[in-house]
Amino acid sequence: MEPLPLVFIVDDDASVRTSLERLMKSVGLRAETFASSQAFLQRQRHEGPSCLVLDVRLPGLSSLSLQEALAAEGSMIPIIFITGHGNIPMSVRAMKAGAMDFLPKPVRSQDLLEAVQQAIAKAQQARQERAAIADVQRRVQTLTPCERRSYLSWLTAC
Amino acid sequence: MMGELAASLAHELNQPLTAILSNAEAAQHFLDASLPDLEEVRASLADIVDDDHRASEVIRRLRGLLQKGELERLPLDLNQTIREVVRLVHSDVIIRQVALTLALDPALPPVCGDRVQLQQVVLNLMLNGLEAMTDTGLDERALIVCTKRPDAHTVQVEVQDSDSGLAEVNMDRIFEPFYTTKPADMGMGLLICRSIIEAHGGRLWVANNLARGATFYFTLPVTEETP
Repeated sequence: MEPLPLVFIVDDDASVRTSLERLMKSVGLRAETFASSQAFLQRQRHEGPSCLVLDVRLPGLSSLSLQEALAAEGSMIPIIFITGHGNIPMSVRAMKAGAMDFLPKPVRSQDLLEAVQQAIAKAQQARQERAAIADVQRRVQTLTPCERRSYLSWLTAC
Repeated sequence: MMGELAASLAHELNQPLTAILSNAEAAQHFLDASLPDLEEVRASLADIVDDDHRASEVIRRLRGLLQKGELERLPLDLNQTIREVVRLVHSDVIIRQVALTLALDPALPPVCGDRVQLQQVVLNLMLNGLEAMTDTGLDERALIVCTKRPDAHTVQVEVQDSDSGLAEVNMDRIFEPFYTTKPADMGMGLLICRSIIEAHGGRLWVANNLARGATFYFTLPVTEETP
């Protein structure tokens, strides 16, 4: 069975964390919260589809460094940044590095929930694509050397 | 400076406002359910009340600083100001087991300024130094406050701690309105300190010490001799 979607929330402000977690719960989404980038990085990676709601301004390891660290470990988790103040150079950097969305605080729940749903849909799609690729790879492994040669020549002919 | 203060204010208010909005909208969703989870609604409302108080507190704390009108400018003895602040942080110093040293120049000339605001700057820098040493070894916790006169027209105050110092990257960012290394910090302490000192015609900066820790420096112009 497909593991349930999970929303990760990283914000150093305890009341913001609690309120966003409650908001997710109010629409039936499971959420886990973290007070810092480091705490999130220490968590075991989630098997199922997930997304990350990330406060731009974090003490310690910055949000952009977290984004880089996740990319470096090959994580495809979609990231939604929320920011307390319009910080254009930072949002440009985050978006260029593949951020899904950049929402200003106080964030409207409709905007955030839409972004979260889209991010989870994207994560689900990426998982299915990865599974399909893994499936093809697994099947190639089962081919005899002769079959593999003809498969490869067929691939290059395509 | 006012632009940065406004940005800080916006940030400090945005946090509780974000929480209030999310809690209110979550409560609406809970109530829309066929079997409303009233416990969640109650918890949302309690948090909304708390965050509203928090927003009011930010405004109350800033009101004093953002008030229009002239700074009170009276001649004052900075050594005296520092001693008053030391009395305020006395118990903090003991609880945190920090060795506090005062090296005050007895011949310090008076400066002209707002006593309460300058007290606030010294208080903020001292608390900052004390907090910075939370992870420092017990026998290495030292805070030194000194006053000196680098030239005839300037008085300088130094608040020196012995923590691990600031990383080079933090050095540039420490005065940014969004920057804080302390989760519980108001996030604008240093920015406000700098704006107060600049309003008094002085400068405020920070540098790492050669050995260990960091020092915050500020200068103020010496009061003109009355002719």
